[in-house]
Amino acid sequence: MVKKNKKQKVILPPALPAEISEDEIEVSDEDLEFVHENLDYAAFVSRLDTQSITKHVSRVAGLEGDDALEASYEKRKNKKENNEKVEEENKLYVDPVDTLPVKTLDGQLYYRTSAVSGTVENIEKDKIGRDEKDTSMRLTKAERRAKLKKNKKEAKKLKDLDIPQDQKEQAPQAAVLAEVKEELSAEEAFKRKKLKLAELGMELLTDPESNIKSLKEMLHICKDDDPTVVILGLLSLLAVFKDIIPGYRIRVPTEKELEMKVSKEVKKMRYYESTLLSVYKAYLQTLIRLEKQPKFQHVAVRCICTLLESVPHFNFRESLLSAVVQSVGSPDDVIRKLCCTTIKSLFIDEGKHGGEAILEAVRLIADNVKALHCQLHPDSVEVFMSLAFDEDLGKAEEGYHNNKVRNRKHRKRKHAEESSQLQDNDRKRSRQEMMTKIREEVSADYKAACFTLDVAERRRIQAETLSAVFETYFRILKLSMQSTSASSETDGNSVAGVFGAHPLLTPCLNGLGKFSHLIDLDYIGDLMNYLKKLASGGDSSDSSEKCLTRLTVSERLQCCIAAFKVMRSNLDALNVDLQDFFVHLYNIILEYRPGRDKGELLAEAFRIMLYEDRQHDMQKAAAFVKRLATFSLCFGSAESMAALVTLKHLVQKNVKCRNLLENDSGGGSISGSVAKYQPYASDPNLSGALSSVLWELNLLSKHYHPAVATISTGILNMINGNNQVLLSTLSPQQAFMEFSLGQRVFNPTYYAKKSSSKKNRESGRLKLKNIEQFLGEIKSFDEDELQAKLSNHFMLLHDIKEHERLRLELDRTNLALQLHEDYEKQKRKARKV
Amino acid sequence: MGKLGKKARKFAKKNLQSVLRRKRKLKSVFKKKASKKDERAEAEGVEADETELSITRNNVFEGTEDASLDAVFGEDESDEDADDSDSDGYLSEDESFSLVGETELDSHLEDKKVDGTLPVQNNEARLELAKKMNKLKRLKDKDPDFAKFLESNKKRLKALRDEEIYSDDDEASDSGGESADQNTSGVDVSKMLSSSSIDALYRLAKEQQSIPAFIRLLNAYRAACHCGTDSSSVIQDSFSFSKIVMLLLAEADDMFRKMLGVSLSNERKEAILELKNTSKWKATRPLIKSYLRSTLQFLNVVTDHQILAFVLTRVRASMMLFVAFPALLRRLIKVSVHLWAAGQGTLSVHSFLIIHDVAAVNSECFETCFIKIYGAFIGHCKSLDPVLLKHVRFLKSSFVELCSRNMHKSLSKVENSTQQLVKILQIGLQTKRKEAVKKVCSWQYINCIDLWVEFISLYIHDYDLQPLLYMICQIINGVAILFPGPRYLPLRVKCIQWLNQLSSSSGIFIPIASLTLDLLEYKIGKESLKPGSNFNFSSALKFPKYWLKSRNFQEECVLSTVELLVAHFAQWSYHISFPELATIPLIRLRKFHETTTIEGLRRVVKRFIDQVEQNIEFVRKKRDEVAFSPKDEQSVESFLQLERSSNTPFTQYYGSMMEKAATRNLLFAHK
Repeated sequence: MVKKNKKQKVILPPALPAEISEDEIEVSDEDLEFVHENLDYAAFVSRLDTQSITKHVSRVAGLEGDDALEASYEKRKNKKENNEKVEEENKLYVDPVDTLPVKTLDGQLYYRTSAVSGTVENIEKDKIGRDEKDTSMRLTKAERRAKLKKNKKEAKKLKDLDIPQDQKEQAPQAAVLAEVKEELSAEEAFKRKKLKLAELGMELLTDPESNIKSLKEMLHICKDDDPTVVILGLLSLLAVFKDIIPGYRIRVPTEKELEMKVSKEVKKMRYYESTLLSVYKAYLQTLIRLEKQPKFQHVAVRCICTLLESVPHFNFRESLLSAVVQSVGSPDDVIRKLCCTTIKSLFIDEGKHGGEAILEAVRLIADNVKALHCQLHPDSVEVFMSLAFDEDLGKAEEGYHNNKVRNRKHRKRKHAEESSQLQDNDRKRSRQEMMTKIREEVSADYKAACFTLDVAERRRIQAETLSAVFETYFRILKLSMQSTSASSETDGNSVAGVFGAHPLLTPCLNGLGKFSHLIDLDYIGDLMNYLKKLASGGDSSDSSEKCLTRLTVSERLQCCIAAFKVMRSNLDALNVDLQDFFVHLYNIILEYRPGRDKGELLAEAFRIMLYEDRQHDMQKAAAFVKRLATFSLCFGSAESMAALVTLKHLVQKNVKCRNLLENDSGGGSISGSVAKYQPYASDPNLSGALSSVLWELNLLSKHYHPAVATISTGILNMINGNNQVLLSTLSPQQAFMEFSLGQRVFNPTYYAKKSSSKKNRESGRLKLKNIEQFLGEIKSFDEDELQAKLSNHFMLLHDIKEHERLRLELDRTNLALQLHEDYEKQKRKARKV
Repeated sequence: MGKLGKKARKFAKKNLQSVLRRKRKLKSVFKKKASKKDERAEAEGVEADETELSITRNNVFEGTEDASLDAVFGEDESDEDADDSDSDGYLSEDESFSLVGETELDSHLEDKKVDGTLPVQNNEARLELAKKMNKLKRLKDKDPDFAKFLESNKKRLKALRDEEIYSDDDEASDSGGESADQNTSGVDVSKMLSSSSIDALYRLAKEQQSIPAFIRLLNAYRAACHCGTDSSSVIQDSFSFSKIVMLLLAEADDMFRKMLGVSLSNERKEAILELKNTSKWKATRPLIKSYLRSTLQFLNVVTDHQILAFVLTRVRASMMLFVAFPALLRRLIKVSVHLWAAGQGTLSVHSFLIIHDVAAVNSECFETCFIKIYGAFIGHCKSLDPVLLKHVRFLKSSFVELCSRNMHKSLSKVENSTQQLVKILQIGLQTKRKEAVKKVCSWQYINCIDLWVEFISLYIHDYDLQPLLYMICQIINGVAILFPGPRYLPLRVKCIQWLNQLSSSSGIFIPIASLTLDLLEYKIGKESLKPGSNFNFSSALKFPKYWLKSRNFQEECVLSTVELLVAHFAQWSYHISFPELATIPLIRLRKFHETTTIEGLRRVVKRFIDQVEQNIEFVRKKRDEVAFSPKDEQSVESFLQLERSSNTPFTQYYGSMMEKAATRNLLFAHK
């Protein structure tokens, strides 16, 4: 029955099992028998996602009783393993998997040979009271296997880790220790410590409850002098903690509670928890201390990140978080990346810890940004991009209720099925009903205890998170605005050098674009003003702003893009004048430099500001058409394509712009206020572009790049006003990507391969027109000179040969002389003999 | 440097340090090649260098991408030797001619004074030998037992000697397929020839058409040509040596033609093929073959430029005969390509003329020529100092010239090569790894681009080279983008020059403005602009770091910008959209003009701006008068056609700028 309930749980995660301690459930012998007899029924249990179940089960927790339950899971499993080992293998060695084998330097493996028997007995005793659970436990073989594998992996990892380090370290250490202690070489000491660590770790993994004291020992090892041992200890502890930390937060019992009389088991549990907690705390302190030492920095950060990622719900999350946030802007690439991914996964995996960790993290980052005056690595704000805000939280409330009802129905249906299954068993059915009742009670409790906070709470957290995020963003904007004089003195060091004066501006603008729909309408006006000023790049006439460190073109483009995104996502509800942004873009186009600025941004700006613009301002459109055409004359094919695609679209949309394609010498009717085209005007509305002619396209149709040439001709042919608008499928961004110098550009398929080979000229007889100059150098030959040279050549050859011969001769004679010496020796020997 | 026999070179390396040094001084260029070859069997010749190169390069690239420049055309060398190895011995002689004075054997060697260390060393060695021999003899005399002992050990001695010889022989047989044992199959020809006997033989052959006499001469010639490598030599004195060589080279062709009945003026290669089945041909074939073979061997042995050039002219004269022997033709190609690449001045020109002729024989020959010449070119332009500049230019233009002989074939080859360039560039662009990038910024790569740019700009009017043009433009753009830094200014300038060249030769629009204007943005950290030392701009792809701080650098930037833009604008100065073309550059230049502080540069820029504005005004005025639309291509083409012939101010300005640039470059080259 217990099992069956579990099955339901899997299907309906929120509805969790009644929290029933073992004692309350009466499982009759019949029940047991039934299960035994109908093992087939129970087969599904093996397919259960046991891990998630365990999680849920433990979540219910809050009460000591359940810890025991969880512990028993562990024990049972271990017992099983050990038993199996003993039965099946019956070998001298305990299975290598179980203990960490130690590889000595000479390559031999040592296995631990005993030590488990005690625990086995222990478990045996523990087991007695909970026999009824055994039935279900027995079936979780799959889980056990998984565990086994995991252990194996961990063991291997540890081994892998320590072997290279070990080899590295041991040399100097040996030298020192050899002087101090002769009988105990450093190697042995090191080996012993390693062995000890492995042993303790394994014990803890196999039976955390009874071996909880070993944690302290392990921690002690971490204080060793040998850095390798320290690292090993840290990593082993990490593995252990990752494994044994329960899925709930441990509450330190109040004094009153401590005074109360409790059962032995509870006492034990309390002891277990308090030990775990205190050691964990000490461990964290060690980590945070070591993080500051360059030697251990990487290891410590790795441990911290792993812990935060795997047990964000557990106690002391705050210190973990602050440590991670501190190093999220670290100049060290490895550390930064690690921290960033950790925080990102924290943001994404909301379910693991409820929203609170997110809020904390965001707040910490915000504080960090504030404290450092925005001079941080861009990554530290970039992580916000991974935040996900549930937009429909308000609505969710209703939805939640609906859901509940549906769930209930669903559940009923499920029950019905089950009951039909067990129809023959009336008692069963009555029990079932009882269970349902209990379940409902429990679910109320569960909601209070579990991590899925109720909607109001979540909304509060989300709102606060959001406000912290925007606070950060606005702070960055504001600082970029005033920028300068002050910070330009202070910075100039660290990150600022690499990422410009405003390292955080780019991720900030990206974030604003992404979360633009969440901005409070009250702020939008101010925001737009900020962006406008930033987009102007300090060009404005104010003399006070002249000193402003200039934003790069990319940043200014981003400002424009962000502004448009904000407007767009607010459905243009606000009546903010975007005209200024167009002016800025009009001028930024001229300042664009291919290598320095990001072409993708330019293309994006083209898309969002011109290509998708819904306004129909003829003057403006014409001005941009003209500017884009001029622009394409000077830049590479990718930029040209992006511009031309935009241009084409503009011409298609604005019928009057087609006048630009025609040399209407009269011009006058539409040319507006400015009669003559002013190419150097900085305001699109005052450029008088309507009175110009797009001669550029003619030159562009001679472009070396076939795609550019084609599209130019295409635009030129739109003159005929055939209104069947062929919407080009390419957006400016796509065009840019496609034609920027990447993989495909070199693909000559742009050619329709018109192999109309021109007049294949007869390859004339020795034309040599371009080497004529060299031909003049040919002189006639002086025979005497040639003869002299030839004889010289001959003499040289002859001499060489002669020399060779002589050398050979000489060598031979030398050898003969040597032989004589040998001969003498032999003779002397012979004489002696 | 020609190919001395392996033995000789080995010997020289061991004992002739000073000679080598002198040679090195004389021909530092060839030395590189030759010394490298020392380590390898020389039969592999030029290609060996190439393959080795490509192998090492492939290693760099972990073998995943076969990205070396020269691995484009797989080459198979192996078939050559097999074809080649049929008898290369002496021709069988008629013994009756042995009577002609073969008596004077005393060598003229010793009486000729030849300076150099070799004879001195020889003398020393001789003296030492004599001393040792004496000693040995004394020992033998003193102790007869020792003589016996020595006798018993002779075998050992001999074995040792044989070993030496064998090892030498191995190399020798490697070195050209001429091992000594080939002679054994031939006739005994170890009779000496004197100069007077040569004369006599020549007379016989010439006047009486005596084939045996001619054969005797040919054999002598062969012996002479193999002088360095053969142990048995007919020629014992230098006079007869030079005589026989000169005589044969000068006259053999004539004599063969006479024998075959082909007139001198008949240059048609088909003539010989027509003859192929006649009995006359069958009779003369071995003679011709022997002659050609010997001549080729001679080319391998000789090092002197003049001799080589002379031999080459003679070879070219008897090119017709070569056609009948494809194997020899291949060898000829190899030799002449080597000389073409490694030689200098006239020698290169002569070799090229030969290659040019050979390439005309048939398409297969053309292909081998192309491949070899490409390999040699790539191998030869790894570095570029001013001395080599002219030579490389010659190589380039002659190569391009060669392409015209068979456009169809060469087009596909050029495409292959550009694909290879693309591959290398892509690796560079994608990985940005140091070695990949370095490969692009190498003279090999640059010269290769240069070669094809020249190729395209020469032939684009006659052939359909559009895809190739597009390809090379992309490559050049890619190179320019890959190296954005100020240190790569020369490379960037080169790229833009290429684009300008391509554009002006093809009449296709290639935008360069943004690439060029980047040069203006190269800011040098501090304004402490020292005049700085001079630096030769033309022979570098990248500036040394210290140079970036000098005033010269900034001047270079601005002047290059202006020159490049002038060239670009000059091409389109009559185009109807010139005002638009100049708009953005003008804006940028004006800004620069405002900010720069160096008066000299300001003036240059200002003048340029004024000129451009003037031209803009000019075009705009003319443009306002026309009534056609941009779509009307023909009218646009004819726009300002009239003015094009007359000199507008801008054209004049362009001319003066180009002159200035030329003098400036000349100055650099001289400094």
